[in-house]
Amino acid sequence: MSHDGHHSVVIPAPGPEFQSHTVAHHFDTPVQEFQSAKLGFWLFLATEILLFGGLFAAYFYYHQMYHETFHLGGQQLDWWLGALNTSVLLLSSWTMAMGVRSAQTSQKGKLLMYCGLTVLGAVIFLVIKFFEYKAKNEHGLIEFAHLFDGYNGATGQLSWFTDHDGVMAGVPHGHLFFAIYLTMTAIHGLHVIIGAGLIVWIMKGAAKGRFHAGYYLPVDLVGLYWHLVDLIWIFLFPLLYLVS
Amino acid sequence: MSASNDNAGHGHTASGHDAHGHGELQMGHHHVSSSAMFLNVLIALLILTAITVGASRIDFGSANLLIAMAIASVKASLVIAFFMHVKWDTAINKIVFLSSFLFLSLLFIFTLADQATRRMDDQALTTKTPVDKQWVHPSTLAEQKQ
Amino acid sequence: MTTNVPAVDTHVAEPTSGRKNFLNCSSGFMSWAGTLDHKRIGLMYLVGVSIAFLCGGLFALLVRLHLWSPEGALFANADYNQIFTLHGAFMVFLFVIPAIPGSLGNMVLPLMLGAKDVALPRLNLLSFYLWCSGAVMATLAIILGGFDTGWTFYAPYSIYTDKAVVSIGLGIFLLGFSSIFTGLNFIVTVHKLRAPGLTWFRMPLFVWALYATSILQVLATPVLGITVLLVAFERLYNIGIFDPRLGGDPVLFEHFFWFYSHPAVYIMVLPAFGIVSELVSVHSRKPLFGYKLIAFSSLAIAIISFLVWGHHMFTSGQSTYAMFAFSFLTFFVAIPTAIKEFSWVATIWKGSIALNSPMLYTLAFLIIFAIGGLTGVILGALNVDIHLHDTYFVVAHFHYVMMGSIALAFFAGLHHWWPKMFGVMYNETLAKIACGIIFIGFNTTFLPQFIMGSRGMPRRYATYVPEYAPYHHASTIGAVILGLGIALMVYYLVASLFSGKRAMQNQWGGVTLDWHTPTPPPLENFDHSPSVTTEVYDYSVLDLETTRTPAS
Ligand code: HEM
Ligand SMILES: [Cu+2]
Repeated sequence: MSHDGHHSVVIPAPGPEFQSHTVAHHFDTPVQEFQSAKLGFWLFLATEILLFGGLFAAYFYYHQMYHETFHLGGQQLDWWLGALNTSVLLLSSWTMAMGVRSAQTSQKGKLLMYCGLTVLGAVIFLVIKFFEYKAKNEHGLIEFAHLFDGYNGATGQLSWFTDHDGVMAGVPHGHLFFAIYLTMTAIHGLHVIIGAGLIVWIMKGAAKGRFHAGYYLPVDLVGLYWHLVDLIWIFLFPLLYLVS
Repeated sequence: MSASNDNAGHGHTASGHDAHGHGELQMGHHHVSSSAMFLNVLIALLILTAITVGASRIDFGSANLLIAMAIASVKASLVIAFFMHVKWDTAINKIVFLSSFLFLSLLFIFTLADQATRRMDDQALTTKTPVDKQWVHPSTLAEQKQ
Repeated sequence: MTTNVPAVDTHVAEPTSGRKNFLNCSSGFMSWAGTLDHKRIGLMYLVGVSIAFLCGGLFALLVRLHLWSPEGALFANADYNQIFTLHGAFMVFLFVIPAIPGSLGNMVLPLMLGAKDVALPRLNLLSFYLWCSGAVMATLAIILGGFDTGWTFYAPYSIYTDKAVVSIGLGIFLLGFSSIFTGLNFIVTVHKLRAPGLTWFRMPLFVWALYATSILQVLATPVLGITVLLVAFERLYNIGIFDPRLGGDPVLFEHFFWFYSHPAVYIMVLPAFGIVSELVSVHSRKPLFGYKLIAFSSLAIAIISFLVWGHHMFTSGQSTYAMFAFSFLTFFVAIPTAIKEFSWVATIWKGSIALNSPMLYTLAFLIIFAIGGLTGVILGALNVDIHLHDTYFVVAHFHYVMMGSIALAFFAGLHHWWPKMFGVMYNETLAKIACGIIFIGFNTTFLPQFIMGSRGMPRRYATYVPEYAPYHHASTIGAVILGLGIALMVYYLVASLFSGKRAMQNQWGGVTLDWHTPTPPPLENFDHSPSVTTEVYDYSVLDLETTRTPAS
C-alpha cells in the first residue's frame, strides 16, 4: 500500500510467461489507475468524434446545397468495393474485440493471433482503398499527380479535377463531392494506419507477456480506438457510396 | 483518492464517487463477454450492411438518406454497446461518449438550419417584399436618380 | 474571525532550511524538461505563457503607437494588418486560453483535491510540449512572412492571402490539442483523484470552474482543429469548401470557427471566475455566498455557450431566422454570469476584508467584468449589433473581458499563489501601486474605444478620419500606462525570487487543501494523505498559527 508514496502496488503475473505490472505511484489501487486511463481515453474518443463531426457537418451542408452533385458523385464510387471494405472493417472490429477478450482471459497466443488478424484487416482495407483512389485518378476525378497544382481563377480550372469523361458535367461544382470524399477518407485512412501501428505495438507487448487478466489496459484502449475507426466508417460508407 | 487511507492495514479502499476499489489486485470484476455474443453481433452487423446496400437500390426519394442514416445508427449502437463494452461501462464513461454526439448535433442543427432557412429568406425578400419596399444601396439610389 | 493576516510579514528571508520541496528536490535541465510533476509543469507553463503575454503586449503597444496619428504613425497599411494579427493570435491562443489552466490550474488543482499529481502526468507533459511546438510554429510563421488575417482567420481571405497561414494554422492545431489534453486530464483528475471525504460539493470553486472549462475544451476545441486543417487543405489542394470561387460557402467557415470560439471565450473566462470565487472568500474570510449557485452556473455557462455562436455572424449573410435564434439565446448567457457577479459581491458584503494585493486585483476584476459582460449583452441584441459589429465597441467589449477581467484575474491568482509556489513574498506596496496603475491604464485605454466604436470607428483599420484622434490619443496614452504597470509587476515579482521576504506557511489564511500542505509543497504534495471532514470554506477550522509560521 503506497500511503507514503514509497512502495508501489504490483499486480502479479498470472503465470511464468507473463510480466507483473506496477501501478503508477500517484494511484492507490489498480482499479483507480484503470478507470482513470479509461475515462481519459473516452474523453479522447469524444474529441475524435467532434473532429470528424466537422467533416460530416460540411458533408451535410453541401449535400443540402448541391443535391444533384452529391447524387451523381456517389454514383461514381464503386459501392461494391465500399461494401467489401465495410465488411473487412467490421470483421477486423470483431477480431479486435476477441483480442481484448483473449487478454482479459490471459490467452497470450490467441491475443497475438487476433491482433494479427486485425492488422491484416487494416492492410486489406488500405489496399482496396488504394485501388479505389487509383480508379478515381484515372477518371480525372481526383488526379493525385496534380493535387497541389492549384486553381486557376482565370480559366476556372482546378488542377486535380479534370473530369475528362465528363461524368459530372451536368451538375454544379462536381469537385466538391470528391474533395469531401478525398478529405474524409484520407483522414479516416490515416486513422486506420495509426490504429494498425498501435495494434502492432500491442503485439510486441503481448509477445513479452505484458498483458493478462490482471493488466490489459493498453489492449483495451487500443481496441476502443480501433472500434472508433470502424464506427466512423459505418457512417462514411452510406453517405459516400450509397447517396445516389 | 490519491490520498490513501492512513490505516494501512485496511487495504485499497478507494473513496470518492466514481472509483470503487474491491480490495483486490486483479481487475477480475471487469466484464468479459462471451465469444458467442461477439459472433452474433458481427453477424448482425454484416446483415445490416447488406440491408443498407439493398435499401439504397430502392428509390424512396429523399427518405433514402434518412433510412441509410438510421441503419448506420443501429450498426454504430451495436459496435458501441458490445464491441466497445459501453453496455457494461461506468456511467461517466457512457455520459462522456454519448455527450460528444449530443454536442455534435448542435453543430449540425444550427449550421444546417441556417443554410436551409436562407433560401426561405431569399424567397421572402424577393416575393413577399414589394419591389418599391426592397432595400436598395444608397449609391444605387443616387445613380437611379440621375 | 476577527484577526486577519498581516499584509506584509516581518520575517527576513533566510536560506532555505533543510526541508526538500518540489523546487529544490532535484536539479539539472532534465529534472525540469522531463518532469512529470504537475507543479513543475505548471511553472514551465507560467514561464511560457508569460513570455507569450509579453510578446503579445509588445505587439499591442506597436498597434497603439501606430494609431497615434490618423495616417498611421509607424507601418505601411499591409504591415499594420500583420501586427494586429500577431497581437490577437499570440494573446488568444498562446496566452489567454492556456494561461490559467496551464499554469495556476496545473499548480493548484491537484493540491486542492488532495492528490499527488494529475491523473495522467505524461499527458500533462505532452500537453506542455504541444504548447511549445505551437509557439514554435507561430514564430516560424512570422519568419516565413507573417500572417495578416486577424486572429479569426476568416475565409476566403485566409485562403487567398500569400502569407504563412498554413504554418500558423498547424500551430493552432497543436495548441488546440494542448488545450484539449489539459482539459481531459483535469476531468479525469477531478473524477478519480479526490481525497477521501472530498465530495463534489466540498470542492473549491476554482476546481469547479476548471472542471466546467475542461468540458468546453474537450468538446469544442476539436472543431477548431478540423477548421484550421480544412483551411490548410484549402490552401494546399483547393478543396473548395470555404472558397466561393469553387462553390464553397465562407459562412460555413464562420460557423465552424465560432462553434469553437464562442465556447472558447468561456474556456478563457471560467478559470478566471474560479480564481475570483476563491479569492473573494479567502480575502474576506467568509464562506462563499451561493456556493452551489456558482458551481452550477459554471456548468450552465458551459452548456449555454454552445448555443449562441451565431451572435458573431450577424452581418455574415446568415439567415435571419438563425440570427433571431442566436440573438435570443445569447441573452440566456447573461443569467448564470450575473448570478456569479452578485454572489461575489454578496460574499464580500460584511466580510472581514483584507485589501491584500490579490484582493485588489480581484476588486478591479469585479468592476471591469461588470462593464465587459454587460456590453456583451448589448452586442447580443441583433439590431444594435448590426451597427456596432466590427467597430471599436466590440474591441472594447472583448478587451474588458479578456484583458481587464481574465488577465487581471490571472494576476490576482498569481499574487495569491505566488507565496505558495515559491515560499517568498513580493513587495506588497509595489504590488498595490502596480494594481492601481494597471487599473487606470486599462480603463484609459479601452473606455474611449467604446465611445469611438459607437460613433462608427471600424476595427482593424490602419488609418482613420481625424475626428477620432482624441479617442485614439487617450487610448494610446492609456496603453503606455498599462504597459508601465505591467512592467512594474513583472519587476517586483521577479525580484521577489531573489530577495523576497519569506512567506508564511498559509500566507492569506486559506482553508482549502492547497493551504494544508507545507509551503512550498513537497514533491508528492502532502506529507500525509489528507482526508476531508469539513465543509468547504469553513474558516472556523483555520489554524491561525500557520499564518504566522514562515515557509520552510
Ligand atoms: C465573459 C467573457 C467574454 C469574453 C472573453 C468575450 C469575448 C469576446 C470576443 C473575443 C469577441 C470578439 C470576437 C471578434 O470578432 O474578434 C466578442 C464579441 C461579442 N461578445 Fe463577448 N465575450 C464575453 C462575454 C460576453 C457576454 C456575456 C455576451 C452576451 C451575453 C457577449 C456577447 C458578445 C457578442 C454579441 C459579440 C459579437 C459582437 C460583434 O462582433 O459584432 N460576450 N466577445
Ligand atoms: Cu460570443
